Amino acid sequence: MQEVDNIIRILRETRKALDKDNSYKIKLLSDQTIHTAAVYQDNDNVIVAVLVYAIGKIIERENYRELPGWREFYSSLIKNLELAISSLEQANLERFRDSEKNIRLAINRIDSKLKDYIEDIFKKARINKASKIYEHGLSLEKTAELLGSDLWDLSTYIGQSSYTGEVSESLDIKRRIKLAEGMFEK
Amino acid sequence: MKYIIFDAGPLISFAMNGLLDILEKLKKEFPGEFIITPEVKKEVIDRPLQNKKYELEGIKISDLLSRSILKLSSEFIKNPALEKETSRILNIANSSFKADKNISLIQRGEASCLAFSNLCGCENLIAIDERTTRMLVEDPDGLKKIMEMKLHLKITIDKQNIKKLNDFRFIRSSELLYIAYKKNLFNLKKDNILLDALLYAVKYTGTAISQKEIEELKKLA
Repeated sequence: MQEVDNIIRILRETRKALDKDNSYKIKLLSDQTIHTAAVYQDNDNVIVAVLVYAIGKIIERENYRELPGWREFYSSLIKNLELAISSLEQANLERFRDSEKNIRLAINRIDSKLKDYIEDIFKKARINKASKIYEHGLSLEKTAELLGSDLWDLSTYIGQSSYTGEVSESLDIKRRIKLAEGMFEK
Repeated sequence: MKYIIFDAGPLISFAMNGLLDILEKLKKEFPGEFIITPEVKKEVIDRPLQNKKYELEGIKISDLLSRSILKLSSEFIKNPALEKETSRILNIANSSFKADKNISLIQRGEASCLAFSNLCGCENLIAIDERTTRMLVEDPDGLKKIMEMKLHLKITIDKQNIKKLNDFRFIRSSELLYIAYKKNLFNLKKDNILLDALLYAVKYTGTAISQKEIEELKKLA
């Protein structure tokens, strides 16, 4: 795993922000593992980026707290977040990875609409982080592979994000059109 | 013989915008073949057929393949040769940009299009919508600049290595739609509003094209 200290810091700050119900801070923290994920393509960094962003989104939706299963899920989330931090502090990578799996298991145990909502948040979190990694210069298919996202979902998401194409003028458009027209000449 | 080699992006973009019939009309105007590699087929047919959300699009693209509007690269280049060249290109592309280690930039689907282009021995263009593969070949320094800005790291390029990738030529969904528009392949009123709508439609489904380029294309039409 790359940049363990950075991940510990991000998880600790996420834990503190949870106490303060600060979803904005949590979403900002999620981007701080993106550089490492893009360069090293390290799966643990990718998982933390997705997890932290999803946590930010989950606590933003205050109405979820009224749904059956919330209390059990939230309690498992806090417990496993703390387990993740202590595991990394003790350099126990296996237990760190288990803590992430435990959060997924806690989602699966929810027996209400809340499960669908949270699963949807995780799916969207993956696409959001994928688009950030694409911005950093990896190709679309490479990014989809790294995040386990669907290329079709990712294409649409990236197409609708604000930055796309503004840095893509690597050949004059007239020359590119000439290439295309030339190929269609019989 | 001429070839247009399709990466997944343009086929996804045409499918998502209900424009696959235009691809068929373009094929009739094209003195050559539209090619997909097995890696691209996985992305545009095999995977969507396993996903209810995109199953219909997968069926439609599969139909283009069964009617030979699209042809599999294996009809022209044997798969083992393509795979070998794909690996060679991947190795070059993914060892050309370094931070403190090589940064792996592209994946087999994109590399397989470059591989077919290298092996086919005929005039060809690669239709690709995503930015990185195009910039890697056309403007590696520009790509380096973007990466340094985003990663806040010093990136070095192996110039000798990257030179091995400079013989490829690319178009995007936008250029294909421009050609279709010029050739009156749409059963719609031909005016700048239609062209504008087409170009933004593909921009919003992943074609890396700037607003400035869209405006220039509209002026050229």
